[in-house]
Amino acid sequence: MKKTKKPFSMDERTKLIGYRVVAVMYFLTIFAMQCVIMYRQLALDQDIHMYEDFAIIFVVNVVFLISALLYFGAIPIQKLSLKAIALIYLLIIVFGSVFTYLRYNVFGSADLSIPQLLNKLLIIFAISGLLMLFFVVFTLLGKWRMKKELEEE
Amino acid sequence: MKNIKIKLARVEKGLSQQDLADLTGVTRQTIGLIEKGSYNPTLNLCIAIAQVLGKTLNDLFWEGNNEKD
Repeated sequence: MKKTKKPFSMDERTKLIGYRVVAVMYFLTIFAMQCVIMYRQLALDQDIHMYEDFAIIFVVNVVFLISALLYFGAIPIQKLSLKAIALIYLLIIVFGSVFTYLRYNVFGSADLSIPQLLNKLLIIFAISGLLMLFFVVFTLLGKWRMKKELEEE
Repeated sequence: MKNIKIKLARVEKGLSQQDLADLTGVTRQTIGLIEKGSYNPTLNLCIAIAQVLGKTLNDLFWEGNNEKD
């Protein structure tokens, strides 16, 4: 029998192991990045401009990760209801507000006044809205893709 | 749970694990782990193995007929 042995031949099992290892390492990297950002921001009290590039990579990465999971159906959303969207939107706003308050008024030296906090809140509303829009669009695109795939013979 | 049926069918055909691996496009280790019951192959691989060994999926993979470890 003719042997077709390649030095790095991958099959379904080795690919599966590879995907698992990559997923775990990716999660650890993202987690470590988040820890570094929090440490710089809250403990070292560094200005955002000192690690802006880092933060942008992190944010873009996480946003696209969630979008990809939604698009490829890894987060199974059976029905997209307005109630659920509003609830998630609200949760993001609450999380963003608490984080901003802690950042400036608890861990930061500059205490923000109420108008300043309200101003920040407006930004949080806008960014959260954009994020939700992004996620909803990718969810709908994923559902459309799945529908097309199921229709194909 | 060991899959004795695959091993028996393979030996009956006069194939080594490496031969079966080459014919189904996987590594020898994968075949070894399937026979040992440590890896659950995809349906595509099950079909490929069954075709190479000239058996049906029921003959090779139906649990009711498998011997328990």
